[in-house]
Amino acid sequence: MSDTALLVARDLTITGPAGDLVHGISFALQRGGTLGIVGESGSGKSLTCRSLLGILPPGVSVTGGSIEFDGRDITALGYRDWQSLRGTHISAVFQDPGSYLNPSITVGKQLAEVLRVKTGLGRRAATVRAVELLASLGLRDPALVSLQYPHELSGGMLQRVLIAIALCENPQVLIADEATTALDVTVQAEVLDVLADLRESRDLSLILVSHDLAVVAQVCDEVVVLRDGLIVEAGPTARVLSDPQHTYTRLLVENHARYGIERYTSELADA
Amino acid sequence: MFIRAIRTPLGAASVSIIVLIVLVTILGPILAPYDPLAQDANHILSAPSSAHWLGTDNVGRDVLSRLLAGSPLSILSAAEAVAIGFALGVIPGLLSVYLGRVFEWLSLRIVDAFITLPFLVFAIAMTALLGNGLQQAMLAVGILISPGFYRVTRAAALTAASSQYVEAARLVGASPWWVLRTHLWGKVAPAVAVATAGAMGAGLVIVSSLTFLGIGVQPPAPTWGGILADDLGYLFQQPFGPLYPTVLIMLTVGAFNGFADALRDAAGIAGHVRILGRTRRPQDAQTTATPEATHV
Amino acid sequence: MPDTQPASETPTLLAVADLTVSLGHGRRRAQVLRGVDVAVAPGEIVGLIGETGSGKTTIARSILGLTHIDGGSIRLGGTDVATLTGWRLRAFRRAGIAQYVFQDPLRSLDPQLTIADSVAEGLRVRGGLERADVRERVAAALTLVGVSPALATRHPGELSGGQRQRVAIARAMVLEPELLICDEPVSALDAANRIQMLDLIQHLRDARGVGVLFISHDLGSVAGITDRVAVLYRGRIVEQGPTAALLTASQHPYTRLLIGSAPTLTGGAADRTRRTELREQLAAIETG
Repeated sequence: MSDTALLVARDLTITGPAGDLVHGISFALQRGGTLGIVGESGSGKSLTCRSLLGILPPGVSVTGGSIEFDGRDITALGYRDWQSLRGTHISAVFQDPGSYLNPSITVGKQLAEVLRVKTGLGRRAATVRAVELLASLGLRDPALVSLQYPHELSGGMLQRVLIAIALCENPQVLIADEATTALDVTVQAEVLDVLADLRESRDLSLILVSHDLAVVAQVCDEVVVLRDGLIVEAGPTARVLSDPQHTYTRLLVENHARYGIERYTSELADA
Repeated sequence: MFIRAIRTPLGAASVSIIVLIVLVTILGPILAPYDPLAQDANHILSAPSSAHWLGTDNVGRDVLSRLLAGSPLSILSAAEAVAIGFALGVIPGLLSVYLGRVFEWLSLRIVDAFITLPFLVFAIAMTALLGNGLQQAMLAVGILISPGFYRVTRAAALTAASSQYVEAARLVGASPWWVLRTHLWGKVAPAVAVATAGAMGAGLVIVSSLTFLGIGVQPPAPTWGGILADDLGYLFQQPFGPLYPTVLIMLTVGAFNGFADALRDAAGIAGHVRILGRTRRPQDAQTTATPEATHV
Repeated sequence: MPDTQPASETPTLLAVADLTVSLGHGRRRAQVLRGVDVAVAPGEIVGLIGETGSGKTTIARSILGLTHIDGGSIRLGGTDVATLTGWRLRAFRRAGIAQYVFQDPLRSLDPQLTIADSVAEGLRVRGGLERADVRERVAAALTLVGVSPALATRHPGELSGGQRQRVAIARAMVLEPELLICDEPVSALDAANRIQMLDLIQHLRDARGVGVLFISHDLGSVAGITDRVAVLYRGRIVEQGPTAALLTASQHPYTRLLIGSAPTLTGGAADRTRRTELREQLAAIETG
C-alpha cells in the first residue's frame, strides 16, 4: 500500500451474529483513483462498504483489522466522529434512490435543506446552489427538476439527485453501492458517465460496487473480486480482465465472452 | 399444521379438553348416574356426596347428570351454527374470486350489514320470528358468523388467485375448479381452520347465553346455560352451585379459543420454520431477501 | 423431434402483426404498444430488447391471451390467438403450443406443491395420461433441464435459485411446446447460473427445435443467444434484423445508444463523447 493511498482497509474482518461475514480483506483506494469491488449478493461487498461509512447494521461489527482514512485510523470511531467524517470526507449512494427521498417534498427543497444544515448556507443561497449542483450532474433542465417531486423523476434522475446530495459537502471519496443496478442500460451508462466526469472535474476518489464486472470495468482502474467474504482476486482492472487467475473471475469473464456483446464490439469499433 | 399445533403446550392442553368434552358429549347418557329429569324431594339442594358427586338442584335433580345430559345440546348447537356460518361464508368467499365485480360489491355490502347486527339480539329476534327453538336461534347465529368466514376465506383466496403460479396454471388451460382445488384451497384452509375453532368458542358462548335466558329450550330439558340460570336463583342456599356450569362453559370455550390460537401460530410459522429448517445450500441463503439481491 | 425445414417451407411459428394494446382504465388508459410486428420461426431464437416500460412483457401477455388487445393479429401455429375466448382459449392452451417462463420462479411455482406436481400440472390439466406416464414424462422433463428427478419430491423453497429456474423451464417443456416465451429468464441469476441457463435454452432449441422469444433488457445475453433481435422503444419496434447485422450496423439512434451503453469488459462499445452525441440525437427525435 503506497503512501498515496487515501482509504485503506487492512485485514478487515466483519462479524455478524452467526459468525464472520468478511474474513480479513485488504485493499486501498488511491487519491483520485477508482476502485471497483465486484461480488455477488452475499459476498460481503455491501458490508464492506458500510464498514467504510460506519453504518454497519445492528449486530454486525468490525472485529479485526483496520480502516485508515488519509493516514488516520477510523476503525473505532464513535458516533459523533463518524457523523463529522461522513458527507464531508466519505459519502455514498445506494441502489433504489427513491427510498432515500421524502415523497412529499420537491427534490430541490430536499437538496437545499441538506446544504443549509451541512454547509450553513442561507435559504436563498442554498436554493441557488442546489440548482447549480443539479446542473453539474448533467441534468438537462436543473431548475425544473428541482421543483419536481421524487415520483415525477425517473430512476436515473433520482440517482443523480442522490449523488448531488452526497456531494454537498465536497467529500473526497464517493462510494456507489450498486447505484446503477436497477437502472436501464442506457441510463446506467449515463450515471456511470456522470461519475467518471465528476472524478475528473472534482478530483473525487471513487469506490464502485457492483455484481457486474463490466460495469466496474467502465470506470475503475483497480478491481477487487470478492466471494464469500474473501478477496479471490485483486489488481489493475485491465490485468484482471485480460488474465484472470481465479476460477471465479474466469467465470465472470467467460460470461461476457460467451453471452455478451464483446464479440461484436471489435467490429463496431471498425465501423 | 394441525400436528404442529398439537405439539405446542397450548395446543396439546386445548385438544385434550376438547377431546374429553366430545367424549362426554357422546357418552353422556351412558355415564350419567341418574335420570337428569328425575326429581328427588328428599335431596333438595344437597351438598356434593358420594351419591351425588356435584350435589343436587332445587328440585332434587342430580347436577352431574344434568350437566352431562346438557352437553350434546350445547356442543351440537354451537357446531350447527358454525357449520351454517362455514357454508354461508367459505363457499361464497372462494367464489368471490371468480364471480366478478358485481358479486364482490354486493357480497361485501351484505357482509357489512351483517357485521353491524349484535349477535344475541338478532338471535332472539329470529326466535321470535321463526318460533322459539334452538334450531332457529342457531340458524341466526350461523348467519351472523358467516361474514367472518367470508372475509377470512376471501382474503386468503384473493392473495393466492393473483399469484403467478395461478397465472401459470391458467396458461396451461386449467379450469377455475382446478385452480381452486390445486392452488387456492391449500392457502385458504389454514385460515379457515383457525376461524372454525374460534367460531366454535364464540358459538358456545352464544348458545349458553341464549339458554341462560331460556330461549330455544323448553324448561325441563337440561342445558349448560339453563342450569346456570336455575342455580343462580338459589345462590344463598347453594353458593357453589353456579360454579359447575360456569367452569364447564369457560373450560370448553377456552379450549376452543386456545386451539384456534395454537393453530394460528402453527400456520403463521409454518412456511418460515420449514424454509429455515431445510435450507442447507449457501445459494438458498442468498435468495432470501438480502438488500442487494434485486438486480432487475 | 421436429427438424427445421428451410424457411420457405415452414410456416412461421409466431406472427404478430400490427399489435396495438392499451392498458389502464379511464383517464389513465394509455397506449403501450403501437403497431408491433414480431415473428418467430420454428427453431429460431428471437430477442426482444427494450427498457423498463417499453412494452416487452405486454407483448408476451398479449401472445398468451392474458391481455385484451386493441388491434392487430397474433397467429400462433396457424391459430389466430387474439380471437380465442372461454373454452376455446382453454383448449388451445391445453395443447401447449406456446409456453411462458416467468422471470421469478420463486413466485411462479406454488410453494405448497412439490416440484413434480408443479411440472406435472399441465399434463394433468390436459388429461388422458396414466399416472405412471405422467411420472415418466415429468422425470424426463427434469432430466432434460438438468435437474435430478430425485429432487421431484422437494418444494420450491428447498431448491437453489438456478434449480428453480430450471424447474420452471421443465414445467414448460413437459408439454412439448413449439414456442418458449422467456421473460428475463436470467436477470435474477448469478454469473454461474446465467451461463448455464443460456446454454440450456440453446440446447433446447438444438435438441427439441423449439422457437424462443427471448425477452430481456440485457443486451449481452440477447447478443449471445439470439438469431434475430427486435428493439422495442416506447411501444414501437424501432429496428429488427439478424443479431450480428443489427449489432454491427444499427440504424436507429436508440439501438446505437443501447449498444454504446452496454457495459463491456473492454470499457464500453462506445466512448463517453459518442454516447453524449447519441443521447442528443435521440432527444432530438423525441422532441421533433
